[in-house]
Amino acid sequence: MSATNCLRCLGRPAVAGASRGVIVPVFAPRTAPFSTTAVQNAMPGKPQKSMEHQDRSVRVYRAGKKMKIKKKGNLDRGKPPAPGERKAFRKKIVLSNDNALPVPWVTEMVAGSLSDRKQVGTIVSLPPVLQDQLRATEAFQPTQTWGLFRKPSTLIRQESVDLIGKMEKAVENKETARIVLTGEKISGKSTMLLQAQSHAYLNNWIVIHFPDAQELINGSTEYAPIPNTENPTLYMQQNYCLKLLQSIKKANEKIFAKLLSVSSHSELPQNITVNQPLLSLINAAKEAEGAWPVFQALWSELNAQGANRPPILLSMDNLPHIMKISEYRSASFDKIHAHDLALVKLFTDALGGNARFPSGGAVIAATNRNNGPRIPSMELALKQRLAVQNGDSEGMPVKDPYFKGYDERVEKVLKTVEVMEVNRIGKKEARGLMEYWAASGLLRTTVDEQAVSEKWTLGGGGVLGEMERAALLTMKI
Amino acid sequence: MASAANSLRLCLRASRKISVRPAASPLLRRALTTTAAQCARPGRKKGWKDPSDNFEFPEPYEGKAFNDLGEQLRYSLENDELNEADRAAVQQALASWENKPNEEKLEEQQIIKEIDKEFAPLRAPVRARHNSFWNAEEQDTDLITDEVGEDDFEENDMMAMGHAKLEEHREYREYARIAVWEMPLLSKFTKKFEPPKENEVLRFRYTTYMGEFHPADRKVVVEFAPRDLSELTEVQQSKLCKLAGARYNPEKQTIKMSCEKFELPAQNKRWLGDTIARLITAAKDPTDTFEDIPLDTRHHKFKSIPKYPKEWYMSEQRKKELLAQREESLKLDMKKRRTRELIDGVKLIEQGVLSSVKEKEPVAVRVKAR
Repeated sequence: MSATNCLRCLGRPAVAGASRGVIVPVFAPRTAPFSTTAVQNAMPGKPQKSMEHQDRSVRVYRAGKKMKIKKKGNLDRGKPPAPGERKAFRKKIVLSNDNALPVPWVTEMVAGSLSDRKQVGTIVSLPPVLQDQLRATEAFQPTQTWGLFRKPSTLIRQESVDLIGKMEKAVENKETARIVLTGEKISGKSTMLLQAQSHAYLNNWIVIHFPDAQELINGSTEYAPIPNTENPTLYMQQNYCLKLLQSIKKANEKIFAKLLSVSSHSELPQNITVNQPLLSLINAAKEAEGAWPVFQALWSELNAQGANRPPILLSMDNLPHIMKISEYRSASFDKIHAHDLALVKLFTDALGGNARFPSGGAVIAATNRNNGPRIPSMELALKQRLAVQNGDSEGMPVKDPYFKGYDERVEKVLKTVEVMEVNRIGKKEARGLMEYWAASGLLRTTVDEQAVSEKWTLGGGGVLGEMERAALLTMKI
Repeated sequence: MASAANSLRLCLRASRKISVRPAASPLLRRALTTTAAQCARPGRKKGWKDPSDNFEFPEPYEGKAFNDLGEQLRYSLENDELNEADRAAVQQALASWENKPNEEKLEEQQIIKEIDKEFAPLRAPVRARHNSFWNAEEQDTDLITDEVGEDDFEENDMMAMGHAKLEEHREYREYARIAVWEMPLLSKFTKKFEPPKENEVLRFRYTTYMGEFHPADRKVVVEFAPRDLSELTEVQQSKLCKLAGARYNPEKQTIKMSCEKFELPAQNKRWLGDTIARLITAAKDPTDTFEDIPLDTRHHKFKSIPKYPKEWYMSEQRKKELLAQREESLKLDMKKRRTRELIDGVKLIEQGVLSSVKEKEPVAVRVKAR
């Protein structure tokens, strides 16, 4: 075809015919003559973008495009947790589970049940009053599995009977049992402490419990030097002291209401005279400011000779933390040894044998292996004490003469303590425990010797916490 | 339409460099000469003369063509820079040329012309051919060897691998000869092993690199156990260990020392012997027995290799014990099953669910009738 448009003129418009006088029909929107696609108009409803651009007389230069980052509007992230809410959630302790089946054969703990050798391997539940007392002293820990069962209950182990026996024997002789509980991770050291406390509460002892030694030394509470103390300067922690006093009061309220003071304490914010109940002495500490003197007064009252005081249980969990240099600094910016903190000193003196309770009692500390610092002197001292207790003079570990990390003050404290190892449980105890688990509806197996043996082996040969992990805290059943 | 190759060719042609190489320098235009051609070199001044040459034509005659030798000689005489001896030689040559008969002159001229004719193609500048692609026809005159056909196998030898195999066989046979003929002679030098006697406490170690020079071949190491030194008391032995410091190995209870201070192993060994002697005399010195100082073992890392405990090995007795335990546990289970004390977790859960359902009061549920 000899086209009207030669190849050179392809760029030209094809409507050239109009100028030649050819009639060309005029459509409002020009479409391609042979096309199946629909005609698309400019949207009638849409307004012209910029009206001033229509005015050709005003020349408008197009501005360069700018990248705009859209700011995200305030997303609704919900209400942030209130101060202390997160910690409260972290420390929340659930002691019962209504979905768990009640176990018919579990009896309530009574004053003598923990010292009964026949009851080894059985489960006893904690009576409600005791639960409140233990809650007040923070004896329950959020990592323990109380929340799985209908009622908080505990297994009576051989070790617990031994420990309670030692406590009772000390009270009989009006002595102080000084015991350090050691053992593997999650082998039940803190639960042993809880059992010791339960026994003490049920037998009307006075219990002073430091739930976590770490809180004393990691710089999280206020501290101040105690006036008139030098070489070394001692430091009081008033806020912690107030908290401790309140928990002591809550846990031992009934006993303190009966006990009367033997000397007057005029230096306290509230004057306490002779023969006033100790409860009013504790109540004198309303603010953190006077807490330390009140605590001192209470301590002296409890240790008053010839006043017919009940036995005292002084206990502390996570012992290794107080066996090192604390996070606090003195006025000259020197690091303060943990034993220079007055509260810690009170405990270490008692553990070292310097304090003597009038009607006897016990000082019990539990080490921790998971979060605890490694204290070489403490580890060595405990091993040495164990060797002495076992009569193994040959295998007595000795100090490395060229190691610099030993601490004399720690060694001095632990020189005469009794070390109790919280070991693995035996198969008999394991069976009792697993029957309890199955009866609570938490273990979907027949508890026969084979099943017990399996879980006992899976749990590192009877490490209680590991058995729990193997049987309760896993989806494989 | 012109093909792409053609257009490329055109482009290349436009951008190529045409090499024009003169076939011969103007010097070659001299007809007959015995002297070597010499180029003007950049470092040399004009008129520099090679002392080895006895005669040379004056230079400025470039571009000139002479009809005969007489003309050329005459032209060179016109040059002022010519020295006396040269001038005389040229004049002599000119005179002998002019004395020649005409026929001879013509003959010589004829010869020169013929030579010129023959050399003409050499003199002509070699130009790249008009439609040559990358001047591929150009001959490379710089090549030293003619590589063509160098690697061709001419069917008159083995392949290289065959030669290698033969070489291998020769090596085997050489060592086989040594093994059969020479090695048995070594047995003459054998010595019987004798364990060290009680007074031979020191154990030396030397190093040889089979005659090669090596910086470590002078090194001598000595090792001994202090408790083998029977002349020392226990206190003296422990003092010796403390004096040895980091050279004492508390696990093996040996002292190990080395020396490479001197050039010869014998000297080093001497030094070691002297040092040990001095250590022993110091250990014997009773003025300070070092008893108050604990042995320092910080330099040594004690390795503990865990071993499978003996108690864990299965023995007949252990098997019996385990069987008895199992039997007992089976009996216990049977007994509990009989008295219905055995606890079944699954059953208990089912019962618990049922009882909890029973506790709830039945609620009427309205069902939509269809």
